[in-house]
Amino acid sequence: MGLPYGVISMAKKNFLSPIFSEVLNHLFKKPATGKYPFVKCTPAEGFRGRQVFDIGLCVSCGLCSRDCPAKAIEMVDVNGKKRPMFLLDRCIFCYQCAESCPRNAIKSTEIFELATTNKSDLVLKPQPLDQKAGVSNVA
Amino acid sequence: MANNDINILKVLEAKNFQIQPGKLGTVAIQAGGGKHRDALKALLEVDEKTAVTAITGIDLGDNIGVYYHVRTSNAFATIQCEVPKDKPTLATITDLVPGAAFHELEVTDLLGVVFVGHPSPGRFVLPDTWPEGVYPLRKDFKPSEIKFNPPSTEDVSLSDDRGLVKIVIGPHHPALLEPEKFAVLVDGETVKNVEPRIGYVHRGVEKAAESKTYLQGVYLVERICGICNSCHATAFVEAVEKILKTEVPPRAKYIRTIILELNRLHSHLLTLGHAGLEIGYETLFQYFWRDREPIMDLTEMVTGNRVISSSLTVGGVRRDIKETDIPKIKATLAALRKKIPFYKQMYENEPSLKMRMQKVGTLSREDALKLCVVGPVARGSGVDIDVRKDEPYEAYGEIPFKEIVYTAGDTWARMNVRMDEVEESINIIEYALDHLPGGAYRVKVPRVVPPGEAVNRVEAPRGELFYYVKSNGTAFPERVKVRTPTFANIPAFLKTAIGENIADVPPNFVSLDPCFSCTDR
Amino acid sequence: MIDYLWLVFRVLVFPGFTFLLFLTMFCDWIERKIEARMQNRMGPSFTGPSGILQPLADFIKLLTKEEITPNDSRKYIFRFAPLFAFSVLVFALCFLPIDGTSVIPDASFGGDLIFVMALISVANFLLFLSGWSSSNPYSSIGAARVLTQFLGYDIPLFLLALAPAFLAGSLTIATIVDSQWIPFVVLAPWAFVLFIITMQAELEKDPFDIPHAESEVVAGHETEYSGGKLAFLKFARDVQIVFGSSLITVLFLGGANGPVFFGLQALWGTLWFVLKVVVIIIISEYMTVLFARLRIDQIVKANWKFMLPLSVLSLLLTIGLAVWVYPMV
Ligand code: SF4
Ligand code: SF4
Repeated sequence: MGLPYGVISMAKKNFLSPIFSEVLNHLFKKPATGKYPFVKCTPAEGFRGRQVFDIGLCVSCGLCSRDCPAKAIEMVDVNGKKRPMFLLDRCIFCYQCAESCPRNAIKSTEIFELATTNKSDLVLKPQPLDQKAGVSNVA
Repeated sequence: MANNDINILKVLEAKNFQIQPGKLGTVAIQAGGGKHRDALKALLEVDEKTAVTAITGIDLGDNIGVYYHVRTSNAFATIQCEVPKDKPTLATITDLVPGAAFHELEVTDLLGVVFVGHPSPGRFVLPDTWPEGVYPLRKDFKPSEIKFNPPSTEDVSLSDDRGLVKIVIGPHHPALLEPEKFAVLVDGETVKNVEPRIGYVHRGVEKAAESKTYLQGVYLVERICGICNSCHATAFVEAVEKILKTEVPPRAKYIRTIILELNRLHSHLLTLGHAGLEIGYETLFQYFWRDREPIMDLTEMVTGNRVISSSLTVGGVRRDIKETDIPKIKATLAALRKKIPFYKQMYENEPSLKMRMQKVGTLSREDALKLCVVGPVARGSGVDIDVRKDEPYEAYGEIPFKEIVYTAGDTWARMNVRMDEVEESINIIEYALDHLPGGAYRVKVPRVVPPGEAVNRVEAPRGELFYYVKSNGTAFPERVKVRTPTFANIPAFLKTAIGENIADVPPNFVSLDPCFSCTDR
Repeated sequence: MIDYLWLVFRVLVFPGFTFLLFLTMFCDWIERKIEARMQNRMGPSFTGPSGILQPLADFIKLLTKEEITPNDSRKYIFRFAPLFAFSVLVFALCFLPIDGTSVIPDASFGGDLIFVMALISVANFLLFLSGWSSSNPYSSIGAARVLTQFLGYDIPLFLLALAPAFLAGSLTIATIVDSQWIPFVVLAPWAFVLFIITMQAELEKDPFDIPHAESEVVAGHETEYSGGKLAFLKFARDVQIVFGSSLITVLFLGGANGPVFFGLQALWGTLWFVLKVVVIIIISEYMTVLFARLRIDQIVKANWKFMLPLSVLSLLLTIGLAVWVYPMV
């Protein structure tokens, strides 16, 4: 009993590449890949997804627009006040805007499925927060 | 083999060079009138590991500065030359250091300095339609005034006069994930010559960086390369911190180290898998990439994004590591550690893998030194250079880890270096998590940076990454020079591919872990 | 009249053309699924139950794509080589007794094993032509590799195919199948193993998929193909894989032989045949995932140094056993 087993384990260690058994094992294991578009995946907490902008907190200082490295924020007129408008097609999701904002008016969401065939879908116009949805300015 | 006794200060003093200790590395050496060759020769004589890391060209007004950044076994020096703008010529150093060839070509393209005696002058990074006499990195360059030449309509010949077939690998080719062209001249199945042409995705980041504030610049340089993004960010912010003379809090140093090592982990796993793909070993590729996925998830958890971390900034890091996340990180790393013996055994025992990787693309130690290669390519050829050891930055000075060196010099050795480094990276992260100091993770820094200049080196997954930053007292940098590891490593491929089978081109090439978005910047 | 209808039915529907088409797609699906699972992936999952319709979807998709014929190509060869390769392989499959008899009843003749093996070489030559005619450097290298590899491996393949022939004492496929009341894999396992390996080389599967090593020569001889022509070229490859596995089934696993429980013998025969083909495909897929792709020089060397001497040895051993040992038991 001992000898053949020893020979086998020695062979395993020195000559046989371990892939022979590894491959067969996987045949009966659950695949590592996920059925993504059918089964959604949630990003980790703190993920930098699409921004939410809370118009109630904004004081129209324009710091977000000034610090944005991608020039993705344009200040537009809303009821006589300058407010940031996000152009997501330029945005690189660095969240410098959120960091620069003195009032924490810009927050992150976990929304990452932003692909679209229409560029205007990617413009986040400053609008009052929709209380029901909890997410503002859904484009 | 590091010879710590060589004091390059003394060596250079003996030759009457004007030197400034502590500036731009260990020393800055003024070398006017073609004396840069003498300085280089003096260094090469005393230290075989002397290599040219980068050549920075900089517009100084009436003159153009050409800075040769040189590393020796224990020091980093900069040899400064100046040439007049109206007649910018300088003697080449390619006969002393063949690895400087690409650097010289780039300076010629971007600043118009002519290197007399360069073995293969010609367009290198700019497009073929770029007009003569227009140099984008000069300050008087106006992008709106470029008039491109019409593209040539000549037929590209697919064979040369000797009747050898020219196989064009790239700009679009399944073996290259990014656009770059290598015209491979083959005789039957044997490679006779390789002509490189880079610049297909040149985005002019060095120029663009001059129009971004330091704060924004971090995000810009980070996007030079997706894979080693935090290495670029670290190299840039450290250079700026050197000019600012800011001391980063210890906690930030440790967090940076963790992010950098996560970066290295996922980059190495990517290459190891990619190499599997290139030799037609799809299973290995799938397994490696499967195991890479949890590391990406960790990066997402720690930094907020899977790939581009965007979590470093001048003065520290933007995001703390939560105490509750630490056990999760450790568990994931432990799971990866369990898989390593399997892969190591594969590299040791799998016959088909060894047949395709061993004795392929062998780079001898002498050639590695001459061609100034960096990172795992150098360490696979027995050259023990690793910036983390040679010039510790962040927390690397306090963390014990092994420097992996293999001597075979072939594709297999380079891959094994990465395999072992994966294990070392896990050790480093675990150590850093255990010894994470408390306190602030960020200090406030001014937006305007005082005049000054700094060089900085970081060990990216692909090797030594070099940054030179010069500030002019405003919120915008005057010059940012980036030398990426792949740029330094491509000569190794050109050298080793010749004489080998065309089937060896992909594995050999991928063993450099080439990254063209880095190379093109 | 009925006879003719029956013949047409057999050729066009079962077990002829239509059945073979679906068998090929089924095998393609099995292959992809098994490979994916061995690599810890899902494989085709969403087209039809467990993605079983994926090969069909791919085929239809390719048919709808634009076709491009390069200016420099030799147009007729370029156009017809894929179709010919496809038809030659389907034609060759018709000689194998899928439901007990070959597709065209009574088409089997003395020595048809040699004929079928010759058809493989013709099909491979057509693949070479398809690459050579597209005048693209990648294609020419791919085509040259096709020729180098197949010419080398055809010889051991022939020698190894002779082992079952000797055991059965006949070169007729029908006779070989009929004499396998013990499958030849039991009587000559060494020949079986070598045959599968050689077949792997013939079918361009890892570790022998050098002619279309995508990291070196893009798609090899297929590089310039697109649309319907590509669909047929790819399909020809899949048929080739089914054909190779069927040949192994016929020569070593006893073809359609197997217990019949109730009902039509032909249906049970088909079932056993398909099952055995699937087993062979799984084995060959296992080999595919296990190894890296070798280099052409390594393969040529392996052929002359190992495969050829080994197949000669195997043939001698089989003849010895067939003549002196097995008749005694
Ligand atoms: S996330 Fe970055 S790029 Fe996007 S809007 Fe904010 S600052 Fe600009
Ligand atoms: S930085 Fe904040 S407060 Fe200032 S404009 Fe932008 S969103 Fe409004």
